[in-house]
Amino acid sequence: MLMDLNVTLIFEKGNERPQKNFIPKMDLDKVEINKILPENLLRKELNIPDVPEVEIIRHYIGLSNRNYGVDSGIYPLGSCTMKYNPKVNEIAARMPKFSKIHPLQDECQGSFELLYNLSKILGEITGMDGFTLQPAAGAHGELTGLLIIKKFFETQKMEKSKIIVPDSAHGTNPASAKMAGFSIIELQSNEKGEVPLDQLEFAMKEGDVAGIMLTNPNTLGVFDSQIKEITHVVHENGGLCYYDGANLNPILAICRPKDMGFDIVHLNLHKTFSTPHGGGGPGSGPVGVTKDLIQFLPEPCIISTENGFICQKSTDRSIGRIKAFWGNFGVIVRAYSYVIALGEEGLRRVGQMAVLNANYLRVLLQDKYNLPYNRLCKHEFVLSDQGLPNNITTEDIAKRILDFGIYAPTVYFPLIINGAMMIEPTETESKTSLDRFVEIMLKIYDEIKECPEIIKSAPHNTFVGRLDAVGAARKPILKE
Amino acid sequence: MDFIPHDDKTISKMLNIIGIQSLDDLFQDIPKDLLINKLNLAEGLSEPDLIKHLENLASKNRVFSNSFLGAGCYYHYIPSIIDFIISRSEFYTSYTPYQAEASQGYLQAIYEYQTIISRLTGMDIANASMYDGSTALAEAAIMASMITGKRAIVLLEGIHPEYIEVVKTYCKGQGIHYNIVKEDKLLDEINHDTAALLFQSPNFFGDIEDSEGLIKSVKSIYPECLIVQVMTDPTSLGILKPPGSTDIDIFVAEGQSLGINPSFGGPGLGIFTAKQKYLRKMPGRLVGKTKEIKGEKQGFILTLQAREQHIRREKASSNICTNQALCSLSALIYLLSLGKNGLQEIAKQNVQKAHYVKTQLQAIPGYEILNKKPTYNEFLVKCPNIEALIDNCKYKDLLPPLQVSKYYSNMENIVLICITEMNSKKAITEFIEAARMAANDKKEGKC
Repeated sequence: MLMDLNVTLIFEKGNERPQKNFIPKMDLDKVEINKILPENLLRKELNIPDVPEVEIIRHYIGLSNRNYGVDSGIYPLGSCTMKYNPKVNEIAARMPKFSKIHPLQDECQGSFELLYNLSKILGEITGMDGFTLQPAAGAHGELTGLLIIKKFFETQKMEKSKIIVPDSAHGTNPASAKMAGFSIIELQSNEKGEVPLDQLEFAMKEGDVAGIMLTNPNTLGVFDSQIKEITHVVHENGGLCYYDGANLNPILAICRPKDMGFDIVHLNLHKTFSTPHGGGGPGSGPVGVTKDLIQFLPEPCIISTENGFICQKSTDRSIGRIKAFWGNFGVIVRAYSYVIALGEEGLRRVGQMAVLNANYLRVLLQDKYNLPYNRLCKHEFVLSDQGLPNNITTEDIAKRILDFGIYAPTVYFPLIINGAMMIEPTETESKTSLDRFVEIMLKIYDEIKECPEIIKSAPHNTFVGRLDAVGAARKPILKE
Repeated sequence: MDFIPHDDKTISKMLNIIGIQSLDDLFQDIPKDLLINKLNLAEGLSEPDLIKHLENLASKNRVFSNSFLGAGCYYHYIPSIIDFIISRSEFYTSYTPYQAEASQGYLQAIYEYQTIISRLTGMDIANASMYDGSTALAEAAIMASMITGKRAIVLLEGIHPEYIEVVKTYCKGQGIHYNIVKEDKLLDEINHDTAALLFQSPNFFGDIEDSEGLIKSVKSIYPECLIVQVMTDPTSLGILKPPGSTDIDIFVAEGQSLGINPSFGGPGLGIFTAKQKYLRKMPGRLVGKTKEIKGEKQGFILTLQAREQHIRREKASSNICTNQALCSLSALIYLLSLGKNGLQEIAKQNVQKAHYVKTQLQAIPGYEILNKKPTYNEFLVKCPNIEALIDNCKYKDLLPPLQVSKYYSNMENIVLICITEMNSKKAITEFIEAARMAANDKKEGKC
């Protein structure tokens, strides 16, 4: 397409003409500012450019042309569940009676009802008895869940300072545990990519362990066949089980975290429930708990009464407030719209097709690429760069993939696989799209053998060539 | 409805290639007793039926013709171009820009956001965003504790009550001690073990604090104590002295005012800025400018990721991963749309209109303005008949101001009024009329 290849920052596009388009007419008698506010409170200068509206539009449309989204093509990032974001959800979130509502106003029964309904639906999907929709993202949900675990043991007058996290876990798990004041015991996955029961038992028996954080299926895409035994061992030794819901997509309406024995779950509405990632946010990370833990949920919570929905004061056992107001409501509306549209049958179809697509890719790529855990996978699978000829690395392959006009998989994660390429196609990719991805990966494999240079120097077709990350970090330039 | 592209024939073909018989076989690794047959959920809906359902729900909410409510969430004008830009699929359906070469557009926009926020606040560095103002403040408290190695913080009264609650929750997790103090007792509570003083300005009650005086009184005795300022309506920076012109160490704000809809309180935008020397202790993503390895072209990339959870795991400066990227893009476009002139004008109008309402209310017997300090667009008013005022506002289709007793039970009969550039002369006149009638114990529609 036509594109201006020149990189210009918006700050260079300002001029001397003051912008007045967005200032309503001042229809009251004006009193000079220095008669209202003392001089010493006022700022002397403001270095923000006045840019004509047309220039702003052209600048950012230009920038959007240098970016890739799910609407551009396949986005096979493992553990990110980059599925299609239904457009009707955008309409829903922009309905003025949702988007213009103040969080502290009366006459907001519609918002309350939506929050209440979604809590119930998420409860049904996960099996959990109570939900909070307040956390703003997955990691925020993790922190909430861990604070609930902490509070639970405090009320039992028990000191438990450690959390078990398998080495295949998302990086947020140990970071969240630390923020909640826990130290981490890392557990090595076994040769099947699962949690080793004997070592788990050993760690639990050490005492002082509050529980385990797990994602199942895990980051290798493996459903832990001993999941019930795992949660049983943790419970037997007085611990609680936390479910990281980042990978819930493939088991939607197939099986439920509570039935696996989990006590607390967080979900990512911006993964499983189709709300857009927005280039890194906003997200939403609801947390569900079993009956006994409802009393610890953050405040406030909404209940249904004869007189409509009301906000209930929480008990003094609540962990407290985790965010101002009600959570990322605009994101919650989109997720609600999605589950209502899909219904039970639609949700099951999501789980089935997500697994079908992932296994289809796995089978078609396993002959050429190293697949350390080659078994039936769920939503994703992980390839490795080990054994590739000509010292080609995962980084090289990822950059070369961009040259074909599609996005690369998640790279170098999970950490338990050297040179990992984690691939999650999601249920919304068509067979044509999957076949094209395979074709590209096989073409790259041929290039690795025949013309490795083109891969080592990739990308060639993107707006910029491979960027200097080391230099960027050594001498950070973070603003103009 | 669903968003599945495959027909049955395609599904059989794919199953065949995988080498299994049925979709059920895809789940043979899940223990049988975990498989469920049915969820208790309603049948799905088509798009027209879905819209009907949502409109019905939304109709149970009320949008007022004009608002006198703020308290951490504000109605400012949102330029039309913002929604056009953030609705570009390439932005809103993208992921965190980990593959820099395919994400130059967003990365450059975030770099521009960091720059413009740094200019607006006068602070050295800004990150790519936090969840909201409350969590940004809580993370600032933790960051201050990490920097100083001290385990106590002091909060000055006047911080948004919900923010205080969030800070408490985060501090409890970390075992950081906290204390909320009145201004005249401030120096009794700060000592050599204090990591930071947190204050809000303009504060929850509308007061613009004397930041310089406050900083001086603390730092002259406790030079190691960090000072953290929070703000809930940064449009005020159109005219107010920026935090960067004082000795503030960390400045955070709720950025919802900057072109983001109220949306029942979220998503908003956590603005997070600090002095340069604290860069490596800062939470959240950062975008840096760099060059091609083998070329001369300039580009942008996520940088200093060694602070972050996906690299450092439990040693990270925070657990934050997903942030509020699209909202930061809104704020960037907002600040650019208004420009220097517009930002100054909007801020002036907020001050002038609020001043006008203050003067008018004061002239009605029974109303008393309680602020002793200068204010921006919010102020506290003692009312002769608060119930009647609230009812009269609703009758006139005005969103009533906050009853402060919602948060402070001892502050009865007091409202927190917010006036922005969106309050027209007509709406203000009606509001004053509602107040006058309430003072005479009259209720609209009943007299």
